Amino acid sequence: MNINRPCGTFDRTYFQAKELYRTPLRKTLLALLIVGMYLLPFVTGDYGISILTLICAFTIGMLGLQIITGYCGQISIGHAAFMGVGMYTVGILQRHFGLSFWVCLPLAGLVPMFIGMMFGLPALRMKGLYLAFATLAAHFVIVYVISNWRSVTNGTDGMWMKRPDVLFGIDFKSDRNYYLLVLTITIIMTYLATNLARSKLGRSFVAVRDNDIAAEVMGINIAYTKIMAFGIGCFFAGIAGALGGAYYEYVNVEWFGLDDSIWYLGFLVVGGFGSIFGAIAGATVWKVMDEFSTLVTPLTETLLGGVAFYASAAFSLIFYSLIIIVFLVFEPRGIAHRWEIVKRSYRLHPFPY
Amino acid sequence: MAEITRDITKKREQRYSYGLTLLRECIEKKRPLSNPNNKETEAKTLLRAEDISIAFGKLQALNHVKVEVKEGEILAIIGPNGAGKTCLLNVISGFYRAQSGEVFLEDKRITHSSSHRIAELGLCRTFQNIALYTGLSVIDNIIAGRHPHIKYNFVTGMIYFPFANQEEARQRAIAEDIIDFLELEHVRGSVVGMLAYGLRKRVEMGRALALEPRILLLDEPMAGMNLDEKEDMARFIIDINEFLKIPIVLIEHDMGVVMDIADRIVVLDFGNKIAEGPPEEIKSNPKVISAYLGAG
Amino acid sequence: MEETIKSIVLGLCSGGIYALLAVSYVVIYKSTRVFPFSQAAVLIIGAYIMWYCLIPWHLPIWLGFIITCIGGAILGVIVERAFMRPLVGQPILAPIVVTLCLMLFFRGIGILMGKGDIQGFGESFLPVGAWKVGFLHLPKIQVYGFILCAVLIAALMLFYEKTRTGLGMRVVHEDHVVAQNLGINVKRIFQYSWVISCIIAVVAGMLLGNIQGVGLALDANGLIAIAAVLFGGLESFAGAIIAGLAIGILQMLTIAHIAPLLPGETTMMVPFVFLLLILFIKPYGLFGLVRIERL
Repeated sequence: MNINRPCGTFDRTYFQAKELYRTPLRKTLLALLIVGMYLLPFVTGDYGISILTLICAFTIGMLGLQIITGYCGQISIGHAAFMGVGMYTVGILQRHFGLSFWVCLPLAGLVPMFIGMMFGLPALRMKGLYLAFATLAAHFVIVYVISNWRSVTNGTDGMWMKRPDVLFGIDFKSDRNYYLLVLTITIIMTYLATNLARSKLGRSFVAVRDNDIAAEVMGINIAYTKIMAFGIGCFFAGIAGALGGAYYEYVNVEWFGLDDSIWYLGFLVVGGFGSIFGAIAGATVWKVMDEFSTLVTPLTETLLGGVAFYASAAFSLIFYSLIIIVFLVFEPRGIAHRWEIVKRSYRLHPFPY
Repeated sequence: MAEITRDITKKREQRYSYGLTLLRECIEKKRPLSNPNNKETEAKTLLRAEDISIAFGKLQALNHVKVEVKEGEILAIIGPNGAGKTCLLNVISGFYRAQSGEVFLEDKRITHSSSHRIAELGLCRTFQNIALYTGLSVIDNIIAGRHPHIKYNFVTGMIYFPFANQEEARQRAIAEDIIDFLELEHVRGSVVGMLAYGLRKRVEMGRALALEPRILLLDEPMAGMNLDEKEDMARFIIDINEFLKIPIVLIEHDMGVVMDIADRIVVLDFGNKIAEGPPEEIKSNPKVISAYLGAG
Repeated sequence: MEETIKSIVLGLCSGGIYALLAVSYVVIYKSTRVFPFSQAAVLIIGAYIMWYCLIPWHLPIWLGFIITCIGGAILGVIVERAFMRPLVGQPILAPIVVTLCLMLFFRGIGILMGKGDIQGFGESFLPVGAWKVGFLHLPKIQVYGFILCAVLIAALMLFYEKTRTGLGMRVVHEDHVVAQNLGINVKRIFQYSWVISCIIAVVAGMLLGNIQGVGLALDANGLIAIAAVLFGGLESFAGAIIAGLAIGILQMLTIAHIAPLLPGETTMMVPFVFLLLILFIKPYGLFGLVRIERL
């Protein structure tokens, strides 16, 4: 008995059985949600648009990490670094080769994908934590290369990026139009990620995560699967970086430190592993927390006696890590699991199960 | 294609008593199955493991063991605990690397191939301590077993409509076929981690079947089951052997089952093969009796 | 040539501290199979506690040392009890994310404790100056630090070999279930591992704070020690010690020979390039154990 379907919904074909949004009600709600997200910027001000754009960009990055860690079970501590590679790819291509943003965007995904596969290759042959160490090393090497290759990357001064050129008469200089573009790309990437999760490769990811020895004996090439997971995840990270960087029209190597990679992992845990909704929830929680901490930090400064210019740095470090640890201890499967429980209790009301 | 879009209610009326029809069609596309009425098909050797030796440190797990599996037979491997039976299966399926010896499947050398290549060639096995994908449901486990035979690449998979969609529905039909055969319909949606041990063993067998096996290696499929479940399992094994025309290698401790369904028996003891032959011979072989069966 | 020998000898001295840090990682990894990234930041806390004892509170050195060690022990108990114990049944990802977040948490606490500045110890609490041996200049701080590290590691090895608790810990290193069936309290062993590791880490932090200044940059040493752990093998003490010394030598050689060639701050990058090379060439490390899996 599948409790996620309302009473009286029977599947007569296998196509129906596989559908994600089975009933007409769900399809309508999905359509309304998407339309609502498109209409949102007309309601909120500029501040709201900036938050929404960043939530969308980070959602793409979080989806990438969900593919690597949530679906395939490989721990990657360098995700922010690959986002940075994506950002800098666009910056370099725009500055040195004058390419338009539309050409740079797929490259911003492919370059981190190949660099990631290069760093991950030795570790993906082996079982255990080795990918975590390899990505940690990758992070430091990438930051070093970007900071010191002055001729190409302008070093630690950062690079200017340009927004996309005019397309179909829409000018992306305005934040609202840019948000609509980012939203469209986010919806496309979410669609791709959802389909990946239920396709052959996605199943092999989960198989490798659950029992990689058995997966190998059952015909799944684990090395290929792990490398594909890592590559596709880094592709998503690169695209996220490119979109985020183009929003600010500036990119600096200091924006993606080891802290950010760890927050990626941490907020993925808060959102929930192994589901697309979890990735979206994690990215949303992260950005909302960011805004919250920006608002709250002046209060802590006065609490600590006014001298506390360091309070903002310490605040995010302490506050976020406590949130993540509390979630891990009390609800290790994250917000997505809680949401499933809410849906289930609504469906099964008044019975407990 | 037609089977997939047809209403399932009609499908039930046309079911064979065995089930496994779609799976058999898939296998038949690749190689013709021999005529069931022709008793004179000579028994060709399908799997040959010659001179296998493997040692873990000082412990000699297998010592120059030679095993042959002929077409269409049920071969049982028996022996006391620690005799090296699972080890032999692991070497054949490419999980362990033997120090000496060769394995041939249909005269193709598979000795040092990686496990997934061997699985693609049709050598499928189940595990003694069940190794299912614990996060997935039963139906997903079986579809995951179809992995080498699903033909679309990841880009098509990400775009999904229309190619991957059709392919997924087709694979679902084949998996449902297997579920019908193994009588797992009532648990098809449950996550595997929640199931009882006997059901998990059946899902394991279903996953091995989903790989379109050329030969099936079963590692203690009846461990921990009562008489009812053992009879069910024996029925499944015989059905698979007769309907899909594949040989089955069986590691088993229950002598009643072994003597009943096996065509030939191989006896291992501390890594050495001490006897081989049909069940009547083995029952009366003095070496086997002293090592394993016990007098009387 | 002289430069190289100087670098190697200095590298050995500073390698002692890396060896100590590597041992602190291996202690926890061997017992609990969780890699404790958080120990990199415990350094910061250890340095700040010692700083607080010496400078604002003007305590004598030996008292400061004892208080720091006690602080480290309490930290170990709290971390294991509050953060690690509830996660016992969960897949490997959960404790790893917790240790990573703890690393950042300790950094945050370090910022609060130190009010964001890098403090100096004022006067180093170990004798300053250097000995001259031939053409070598051996700074006394480094040598005393090396001796302290060697003493601590030797004490730890004796603890493992000679005491009953050490024997219990060695059983837990092998297999948790077997240890439980033998009546060993595995949870308490986890606690001991964390306490030992934190004490070692705070002592290392103290020494490093003396040499490099007490500040947030100390956890870079912790991260470099991760490369050492991988080089030596994740489950081997001998490997950790040898690899720590090797990484120390590598750092000094980098400063002497490679840094002039490459722009920027190479001391963080080179050990990690080394780590990637290790992963390519000898992924399980010098003395690492390859586990044979049974199905």
